[in-house]
Amino acid sequence: MDKTININISGILFQIDEEAYGILRGYLQSINNRFRNVPGGVETVGDIESRIAEIFESQKGTAGTISVSNVEAMVAIIGKPEDFDNNDTEPEPQEYTSEKKRMYRNPDDNIISGVCGGIGAYLNTDPVLFRILFVIFTVSFGVGLFLYLALWIALPSANTDSRKREMYGKSYSSAVSNKRNADGSYNADVPSYNKGYYNTSRIGNALNEIFRALGRVFYIVLRILLILLGATFVLIGSLLILSFVMLLVFKYPASISSSSFDMNLIYLSDFLKFVVNPLLVPWIIALALVILVMPLAALIYWGVKMIFWFRAKDGIFSLVAFVLWIMLIAILAVILFNEGISFAETARTSAQKIFTTVPDTLYIRAGNRVSDLKFEKELNFREEGYNIMINDERKELYIRPYLKVYNSESAAASLELRKRSSGRNEIDAMKKTEDLTYNYSIIGDTLILDEYFAIPSGRKWSADNVGINIYLPVGSVIKLDKASLRLLHAYISEEYYEAGDAEGTESCTNTWILTNDGLEPANGSELKHR
Amino acid sequence: MDLENTKAQMRKGILEYCILSVLSRNSCYASDIIKELKEARVIVVEGTLYPILTRQKNAGLLSYRWEESQQGPPRKYYELTESGKTYLDDLNNSWQELVDSVNLIRTR
Repeated sequence: MDKTININISGILFQIDEEAYGILRGYLQSINNRFRNVPGGVETVGDIESRIAEIFESQKGTAGTISVSNVEAMVAIIGKPEDFDNNDTEPEPQEYTSEKKRMYRNPDDNIISGVCGGIGAYLNTDPVLFRILFVIFTVSFGVGLFLYLALWIALPSANTDSRKREMYGKSYSSAVSNKRNADGSYNADVPSYNKGYYNTSRIGNALNEIFRALGRVFYIVLRILLILLGATFVLIGSLLILSFVMLLVFKYPASISSSSFDMNLIYLSDFLKFVVNPLLVPWIIALALVILVMPLAALIYWGVKMIFWFRAKDGIFSLVAFVLWIMLIAILAVILFNEGISFAETARTSAQKIFTTVPDTLYIRAGNRVSDLKFEKELNFREEGYNIMINDERKELYIRPYLKVYNSESAAASLELRKRSSGRNEIDAMKKTEDLTYNYSIIGDTLILDEYFAIPSGRKWSADNVGINIYLPVGSVIKLDKASLRLLHAYISEEYYEAGDAEGTESCTNTWILTNDGLEPANGSELKHR
Repeated sequence: MDLENTKAQMRKGILEYCILSVLSRNSCYASDIIKELKEARVIVVEGTLYPILTRQKNAGLLSYRWEESQQGPPRKYYELTESGKTYLDDLNNSWQELVDSVNLIRTR
């Protein structure tokens, strides 16, 4: 038993067997494809369908259902689409109404990008008019250039036949016959280049050729600039990536020679484990590295793109990378914020000691010296006068305290020991200041100060600092040894320090006098106080 | 040179002229036109005709009216419009010129 299908052709019902239906459907599909893009095609297909219905109707007398042979007979009468002659596939010019017309960049008539050529094709006018207008507006107001670049970006290129039809509209068929050949010549049967879709004068043609030449020069200059810019991007990006990797991973600072970036900071990553949870340190460094390297990689990619001038569908990729980058920053921020809570509050303690006998000359010596310490790494925040020495083995940190000398504004002399730490809250911070071990003693006219204070093993760094303020009457003389002079370092200027250091020994040979303006060296008073 | 191709090219050029000529006598239904053209062996398959009719109608050379049919769907009866008639007169003249030119060359 054969399956039959009911179909409706042009309002008339037919029964058709399954095999015949398959053939008919394929035939109608091929007719549709043939006329789909032809003007009036829908109407033609309708006419053919009603003719098919008529043929089937006339055949029905012989059999109740349409069979394969009926369909084949019908196809023989109407013919296969490939048997129809071809002269109607060319679209009728009048069918392209202005509403279907769209503006594109014209790749067949371009000087830089085809913007003017496209406008010319759209308005059916000689593009030289727009070229002149753009040049005038660029020279006189500068807006022409921006307008041109905006149009360059905004207008798609008419790089397919259908787009060309939309661009030229009515005059398409005459325009395509004027299309330039691949070798740049024009079709021999069209002697005048512009004849087809706009009429141009000889002057216009000459101007167009001049613009064409200028455009080529402009394009070459633009390309050279882009290549130079791209090369710079690639160079900068690669160098910075190399530097960051060297610095953070291999701790090799040679690639950075900037003085503001102190060499000692290369141990920042080692120091981090004394600041945050040590387990997080590799993560933080990896995150920071990726966050730093990603934009540089993008920079290199842009540079390569500029040099080789290729187009890649990288929009999605760029977006994903950007979102990823923002997320990584957010993650790092959350980690650092969590760790930063332990720095939320700061506590300061101060203890005072009065000198029982006010010395005319105060000798300051170092007690425990840094030179006797064992430490592997040193971080030097020179601007802040803050040194951190790391002993990885004992997990201890040593920090130089600061020493300041003030005018006591009386005949008395005193010493103030200040400690400072940060903590989760004030009590926590206060406790941390108590952990800081720092020793000093006063023996007659000699003050013995440790050259460092220690943060006990296992305790994290909490922005700790220790300071010694000495208050003396004006005119007091201070003699320091080399180690204790270093404590003054943050307080006095670099030149003083260098000057004092030059003659520095273990004994107290650096002599200073306290004046109303502060400390001044006993010799070489031409040096100014900071 | 392909003889069949050359023949097809020749037929193609005169097909529109033939359609207008058929319609100049009286208004016709597409199948009538096809019958005449087939008898004159100008076309082989019917499918060739429909797109040309649509085109000529859209160009304003033809108009049509619907008529009910005893057999199958309603039919389009085409007839020449005024501009179609002048168009055909022009074609008649140029056809005569062509025939004269060809004869002149062949009989020389």
